[in-house]
Amino acid sequence: MLEPIKYVGGVYKHNHLIELVEDLGGYILQKNVMQTEVVLLMLVPMIDMPIVEAKSKELLGKLTRAPLTGTEIATVAPTLAFHHLPHLDCDIAEFLRQHGAKTNMVGLARGVGKRICQVTAYERDLINEHDLAVFILGNYEHCIIEKSKRLYEGIEIPVVVTGAPELRTEDVPNATAYVGSFGRILHHMRHSEELRTLDKLALVIGNVLDDVRKELAKDPPAVAPPRIKKEIEEQIPEINDSLHPLPIALQMNGARVKLPYEEYHEQVENIKFVEGVTLKEVALVLPSKMRNFILIKALPKSETGFVI
Amino acid sequence: MEQLETFIVESPDATGAKATKILIQDSLADLSLNRVIGRLKVFVDPVEPVFIFTALLRLGSPAVKLKDFAIVDMGTLGKDEVKIELQRETFAVKLLNKLWAKYGKENIEQPDKKIIIVKTDPMKELDVLKELVIEEPQAEVLDRLIDAVALRIIPEGFRVRKHELSTSHILFVASEDTLKPEWIAKAKDMLNSLRSEDNA
Repeated sequence: MLEPIKYVGGVYKHNHLIELVEDLGGYILQKNVMQTEVVLLMLVPMIDMPIVEAKSKELLGKLTRAPLTGTEIATVAPTLAFHHLPHLDCDIAEFLRQHGAKTNMVGLARGVGKRICQVTAYERDLINEHDLAVFILGNYEHCIIEKSKRLYEGIEIPVVVTGAPELRTEDVPNATAYVGSFGRILHHMRHSEELRTLDKLALVIGNVLDDVRKELAKDPPAVAPPRIKKEIEEQIPEINDSLHPLPIALQMNGARVKLPYEEYHEQVENIKFVEGVTLKEVALVLPSKMRNFILIKALPKSETGFVI
Repeated sequence: MEQLETFIVESPDATGAKATKILIQDSLADLSLNRVIGRLKVFVDPVEPVFIFTALLRLGSPAVKLKDFAIVDMGTLGKDEVKIELQRETFAVKLLNKLWAKYGKENIEQPDKKIIIVKTDPMKELDVLKELVIEEPQAEVLDRLIDAVALRIIPEGFRVRKHELSTSHILFVASEDTLKPEWIAKAKDMLNSLRSEDNA
């Protein structure tokens, strides 16, 4: 069992920690160097946690659990106008990022209004490529309920809705979870009660994702996403030259590889694992709706008959 | 009338009204419009749906014209020119920019710090120049106000709108559907009640 962990510490000697985690059989998912500080998102085997904690203490760094690590979340706003940006949407996206998720912001073209709102087929497909979608709605109970009846049509991933009124999840149609006390906020969320609301959102999302994990565990993916990432990094060196913020974004049962599909999909399909199988035997390699990236979805054990 | 003497957001949905009130405060503060609005009344009914925004304004100083801070006169006798003698230099930069845009840089001379010569027909242009508007604080404020109300405060889905805008008041009625006459009548009533507070 791997534990999702965030490490924040100095750049000096941080590679010792990276090597330790890799030697223990863990994975480094993301490394951000900001001047003299480094932030690492990693998966560490649970039984080896004391060793990693001791090393982090030695390096005067800080370890925290980041339950959203290894997930890709879409934060969806009705549009990208002043009404929703920059404050609320960016606050939520950034907060979820701090908890380890990779967030993508999606602004719908015609998501406004309770009667006139629409989601296009392209937007729906794009949102469906993520692990979870957070819909950031407004102030009025009636509007949120009316809108929810139609806006999430065709979205197959869990939908978390935010808004101002305190509603029960059962009252919001088609939503997996609802978090109140948000609404349309035009200032930076920094007061203590606002930060608590954000904490609550992260908690609710963590619970929803845990449920998804439980479902996934019943029929586990034939290959673990961090392994896909590791093998791509070793076998396709071009990925290391990619300037995208996260060249391989992990999802719960796959990954998004930020290389052009036409040029690289064969190379990706033919990636070899030490067990003797290639990637295309254990996963689907698909063109992503996001730019021309590659989307990898691991096949479940019930289809392949084995797990590597 | 003090700033934001009255600030009421009415709605059948109390939580929504509270959130909308904070939202209006934020946008007014962002665009530094707090001092501009005297009284403000908003009505929202999400079920109908309608959003009514009415406010009485207290705008700042009126437009600044060239004659307010300079002596505009004929230039040298026999030449086609107008002489502007500045009494205050505050607006010199804005004035020069306006003159350059209107007459071209080659037709403007500044032999002295406080003297500007414009090469043009004095018979035609003298009066026009005297009335030239250099700064319009009121218009700028109104622009910002429209930005705040129309582009930030009114819910985005409410695309059908009716507005009234003057130097003394602002009135917006917005909805997703066709506007009903009774909403507009209600908006006028709200504005009148704000005005009557003024007289009381």
